Amino acid sequence: MRKRNSFFLTAITNSGLGLWLFLAMFPFFWMFLISLRTPVDAFSSNPTLFAPVTFKHYFHVWFVDEFWRYGINTAIVTLATVAVSLTVGCLAGYALARYGGRMGFWLLVAALVFRALPHVVLLTAYKPIFYEMGLWSRYEILIIVLVAINQPFTIWMLRAFFRSIPKELDEAAMIDGCTRWKAFRLVIIPVMWPGVITAGLFSFILAYNDFLIASQLMSGDMTTMTAALGNYMGQNRSMERLMHGIAGSVSVTIPLLFLILIFQKQIVEGMTAGAVKG
Amino acid sequence: MKAKTFLAFVAPSVASMLLLIALPLVGVVFLSVYQSYVKTELREVTTEVPLFGGQTREVTRTVPQPVLDENGDTIFIWEYVGGRNLREASEIEGVVETFRGPFPQNERLGGKLNHVYKRISNYDFWSALEFTLLYTFFTTPAILIIGLGVALAVNRVTEGLRGPLVFISLLPMIVTPIVSSSAIFWMFLDNGIVSVILEQLGFGQIYFLSNQISTRILIILYGIWFAAPFAFIILYAGLQTMPRDPLESAMIDGANAWQRLRYVIIPHLTPLLAVITMIHVMDAYRVFEPILVFGTSVYANSVQYLTYFVLGVQDNIHKAAAYSILTIIGVVILLIPILRHTFKEQKAIN
Repeated sequence: MRKRNSFFLTAITNSGLGLWLFLAMFPFFWMFLISLRTPVDAFSSNPTLFAPVTFKHYFHVWFVDEFWRYGINTAIVTLATVAVSLTVGCLAGYALARYGGRMGFWLLVAALVFRALPHVVLLTAYKPIFYEMGLWSRYEILIIVLVAINQPFTIWMLRAFFRSIPKELDEAAMIDGCTRWKAFRLVIIPVMWPGVITAGLFSFILAYNDFLIASQLMSGDMTTMTAALGNYMGQNRSMERLMHGIAGSVSVTIPLLFLILIFQKQIVEGMTAGAVKG
Repeated sequence: MKAKTFLAFVAPSVASMLLLIALPLVGVVFLSVYQSYVKTELREVTTEVPLFGGQTREVTRTVPQPVLDENGDTIFIWEYVGGRNLREASEIEGVVETFRGPFPQNERLGGKLNHVYKRISNYDFWSALEFTLLYTFFTTPAILIIGLGVALAVNRVTEGLRGPLVFISLLPMIVTPIVSSSAIFWMFLDNGIVSVILEQLGFGQIYFLSNQISTRILIILYGIWFAAPFAFIILYAGLQTMPRDPLESAMIDGANAWQRLRYVIIPHLTPLLAVITMIHVMDAYRVFEPILVFGTSVYANSVQYLTYFVLGVQDNIHKAAAYSILTIIGVVILLIPILRHTFKEQKAIN
């Protein structure tokens, strides 16, 4: 009786799991498949798994629409954002983990409120201010904006991580005559990399996936890849244009696939760090 | 750590947040109480209008012209308008009027409420808020259930398969939202694969994106698909920390799978379910990408998209600022339970 029950249970959970995996994967799989087809085959009234393959949409997007330019912009902006937000965030996260006073608590509460703000609220203020100051379409501006927007999440996450490093480690160094800064540099920095990589991944994903801010603060040749996808959207585009958008979207997705493949463990750890440990 | 050292360490982070988050918030309040426009005056302008055969006629009209200063630049006027932008954005007068009536005659209370609801959800802001709330209301329980189901199922699978399963499950969440919503959008175009397959199965041609109900359902389904992995990962991690003893004793006591889930597993996961709900509600409040991609803000709008549209397309910063203020009020209301919880915890520590 028990055996048969557990057989049924396994059958049900496995088919449910199979359905979920299919749903999670299929839209991306199909997007990839039709990006290699002519519009007629991609949106045919008789969909097939195999159709003649063409790379012309990719060619058009990357070399005629100059997607390579946006790719470079994305690389510059994301890498700089990750570097700056980790540097700034590590200092703050470490201090928050070791300081027990009231100020730390208030800073964390403020960060929580900032984390919940929709980004468009900030954009409403950035637009006129940056426009007045003539700071338009510049890497530095987009980078510092993304760093600031990233900070609340980064400091919460890094604080949780630094708390897991035993206090005794840096305190021992300070008893030996190090200043706080020296103890941080000599004792903490060498052991902090696992947590920093995790926090860095999330900064990377946020900066890379950002559409709203980049599309409003950058224009022309300075746009990022993600924001450039906006050029292909809308319901009344021609079929050709639509196919270019699909090829562009696949191009944006591929680096993320590699990122998940390589760092899957860290991503999962980072997501659960705050929630499970409390 | 001394307070002075603490301040030195957090200074760069605090400076970035003050300058680029706190200060802009003040800026938004400022923008929302002003109205700016190019100073104009009515001037008589004479133009030659071509008639026929090369003949022309002089026409003099009074038209508004921008006033120029000594350098030949236009003059911008900033006018303090107080709460006017806010009143116009929230359309509070219309709302109040709706409640005053007149109501449709010969209707019960239900009919009257329906009338009020219909009138109010015609206003831009309220209809955006309506869909944002509907989206939150339907996606939250769905992601909890699906996330828990997938977590339980993955937990039963052999160790070696779990890695690839997690990889695939992460996709909807990590892939750029604008791409993932487009991937869904393309499947539901009139000649997209889902529409075509449904037609072949004999359901007839369905135009998913040209009526309100199906558009809304699609965006909500997208939201569930997008956020379920997040619930799954956290609940899956929670299952790993589950102690074995209570489960085993429940089995010895003869509890079936459902009873074990209901009385042992779910109580263990309750704090995590609360965390997921809290974070998802905050994220659902800023739903943006699917509305932009589906291009159907007529049928389903969100507060964040409405502000983006007014700011980016209509280029009306003052109205956008007013919407932003309303958005911030919403965020504060959402955060009240969380903040109260945090304060209680802090008090308990002190």
